[in-house]
Amino acid sequence: MTLVLLLLVPALAAAVLVRARGAAARLVHGAAAAGTVAAGLRVAAEGLGGPAPVALDGLLRVDALSAWMVGLIALVSGLAAAEAPRYAEREGPTRFYPLFHLFVFTMLLAVTTDDIGLMWVAVEGTTLASVFLVGFERTRASLEASYKYLLICSVGIAMAFVGTVLVYFADVHLLAAGGAGEPPALRWTALSALAPRLPGPVLQVAFVFLLVGYGTKAGLVPMHTWLPDAHGEAPAPVSALMSGVLLSVGVYALLRFTPIVDAAVGPGFARRLLLGLGLASMAVAAAFLWTPRDYKRMLAYSSVEHIGVVCLGLGFGGAWGTAGALLHVANHALAKSTLFLLAGRIRAAYGSTEIAAVRGLLTALPGTGRGFLVAMLALLGLPPFGLFTSEVLIFGAGFAGGAGSAVVAAAGLGCLLLAFGGLLRALGGMLHGPAPALAPGARGPGALVALALGLLVLTGLAWPPGLAGALERIAAVVGAR
Amino acid sequence: MTPLVNLLVFVALLLTLLLVWRQSRPARLRLFVAQSAVLALLALTIGLFAGRRGLVAVAAVFLLVKVWIIPRVLARIAAQLPVRPVTPGRSAGLAVLGAGALVVLAYVIMLPVVGAADPARRLPTTGAIPLAFAITLIGLALCVTGRDALGQILGFLALENGIFALALLATWGLPGLVEAGVFLDVLVVVLIMEGVVVELRREHDSLDVDRLRELRG
Repeated sequence: MTLVLLLLVPALAAAVLVRARGAAARLVHGAAAAGTVAAGLRVAAEGLGGPAPVALDGLLRVDALSAWMVGLIALVSGLAAAEAPRYAEREGPTRFYPLFHLFVFTMLLAVTTDDIGLMWVAVEGTTLASVFLVGFERTRASLEASYKYLLICSVGIAMAFVGTVLVYFADVHLLAAGGAGEPPALRWTALSALAPRLPGPVLQVAFVFLLVGYGTKAGLVPMHTWLPDAHGEAPAPVSALMSGVLLSVGVYALLRFTPIVDAAVGPGFARRLLLGLGLASMAVAAAFLWTPRDYKRMLAYSSVEHIGVVCLGLGFGGAWGTAGALLHVANHALAKSTLFLLAGRIRAAYGSTEIAAVRGLLTALPGTGRGFLVAMLALLGLPPFGLFTSEVLIFGAGFAGGAGSAVVAAAGLGCLLLAFGGLLRALGGMLHGPAPALAPGARGPGALVALALGLLVLTGLAWPPGLAGALERIAAVVGAR
Repeated sequence: MTPLVNLLVFVALLLTLLLVWRQSRPARLRLFVAQSAVLALLALTIGLFAGRRGLVAVAAVFLLVKVWIIPRVLARIAAQLPVRPVTPGRSAGLAVLGAGALVVLAYVIMLPVVGAADPARRLPTTGAIPLAFAITLIGLALCVTGRDALGQILGFLALENGIFALALLATWGLPGLVEAGVFLDVLVVVLIMEGVVVELRREHDSLDVDRLRELRG
C-alpha cells in the first residue's frame, strides 16, 4: 500500500503543480516532497528488513536492492526539494515544480518495477522529464546542454532497448521450447528463475547492448559526454538529483541484468566488461580533474570517477566488492548532492562557476564555505567519512581477488590519487584568498547539509545496527558469492 | 509468411540506404515516411499470418505516430530551412559504402543470436533479424554523423524504426505496456526536440550542430 502511495504522491503532485502558482505551488511542492521522503523511507525499511513488498499484481516489487535505491532517491530528493524554491520562483509561472516531481516519479518507478520493459520506459522517462530542467535557465549554453543530453541519452537508451528485446527473445524462445503454460514475460523474478537455461550467446550480445545503453545513463566513459554539460548547466537541485541518484539508477538497471547474465554465461563475462569501463571512466575523469576550470563541471567529472569506482566494486564482485559498491553509491549520493546544492549557493553569491572567480569562500560565506570544505573532504575519501570505508571495501576486494584484479585495483588507486590532487588544489584556491564583497541573500538552511554530512560520518565510523545485514541481503539479490 | 517478411524488411533496408544517399530534406522526409509505412505493413503481415490481434493494433498506432504525426512535426522543423544544407555535401558514395559495411557488421553481430535459437523451434521470422539490426546501425551512423539537428533526429528515428522491426521479428510483439511506452517515448522525444531546436534556432539562427561549441573541457 505504501508502495503505491510512494509512486502516487510525486505523480499527483506533478499533475497538480502544472496549474498551481505562487504560494500554493510552494505548499504543494513542500507537502509532496515530505510525502515522498516519508513513504520512501518507509518502503525502504520494509524492503530491507523483510520479504519484498509487492503491489499491482507483482508489477511493483521492492527487494533489498530496490529498497536501497528507494531510500536514496527519497533522501536526495528531499535535500534537493528543500533547495528548489530559490531556483523555481525566479520569474513568472514555472514548469520547474511539476517537472521536478515527474523526474522523481520516473526514477522511483524505474527502481520499484519488477518488469524490465517498464524499467526501460521509466529510465527513458527520467531523460524526458529532466530535459527542460537542464535547459531551465534558457541560456545558450544550457540549451546546448539539454539538446546534447536528450540526443545522446535517447540514442543510448535505444541501445538498452535492443538489449531488452534480445533478453525477451531468449525468454520467448525458451518458453516456446519448454511448452510451459505461463506466457513469456519481462518480469525480472521470472527471468532470474529461468536464467540458467537461457542461451548464453544471446545473453552475451544482449548484455553488451544493455551496458552501452544503461552505461550512457550512468555516465560511463566513453558514453559520458552529455554528463558534464548537463550537470554543469542544470540548476543546483537538478544537478544534485542527477549526480546523486540518476547515475545510480543507470547502475541499478545494469545490476538487474548481471545476475541473469552470470547465470547464463558464467560469472567472468559481465565482470570483465564492468572492470574495463569502470577503469576507463576513472582514468578519463582523473585526467580532467587534474586541471579543472569550472567547479560545477569539476563535480560532474568527479561523478564519472565515482561511478567508475562503483563499477570496479561490482567487477571485483564477491560479498566485499558488491557491498562496497552499494555503500559507495549511497555515500557518493549524499556527498555529491550536498556539494551541488552548496555550489548553487556559491554561484548565486559569486555570479560565476569559474574556479578562478571564487576566492576567500571561508571568509565571504562562512557557513557555505565550511559545509563545502567538509563535503569535499568526504568526497575525497578521507576518514571518518563513509566514502573512505566503501573505497577500502572495494579496493580491498580488488587486491584480495588475484593478480589480474589487483593490477586493476592498483591502476584505479592511481587514478584516485591523481583526482585527489587536482580536487584538493582547486578546493584550496576557492577557500582561501581575499574575500570579495558579495551580494547578500546567498545563505541557506544549514540543517540539511549537517544532516547529510552526519549520515556520511555514520556510514564511516559506526555502522548503524542493521546496515551490515541490509548490505548482505542486497549482495544476495545481486548474486554475489 | 517468411518470404513476404524478408521482402518487407529488405525494402525497409533499401529505403534506409537511400536515406543515406539523398541530401535534399523533403526527399529524406519522404523516405522516412515510406520506411515507416513498410514497417507498419510488416507488423500487419506478422499480425495476420501469426494470428496476433495485438500486432494489428500496433501497426495502426505505428502508422498514426510515424507516418502521420511525426512527419508533420519534422516538416514544421524543416519549414524554415533551405531545401539542401548550405555547406557543400560530402561524397554520398562513401557514406553508402560505409552503410554497406554496417550491413555486414550487423550480420557478424547478430548471427550468433540467430544461431542460438534451436532451428526446430525458432520463430519463422528469425532469419531477418540481421537486416533489421542493419537498419538500426545505419540509423545510429546517420544520427552520429548528422550535420544539422534535423539530420540527427532523422537518424534517431531510423534507428528507432530498426529496433521496432527487430523487436517484431525476434518476439512477435512485446507486452502491451512496453509497446505503449515506446510509442509514447518516441513521440515525446520528437516533440521535445522540436521545442529545444526552436529555442536553439532563436539563439543561433541555424540548426548547424557545428555551432554547438559553447561547452568544452
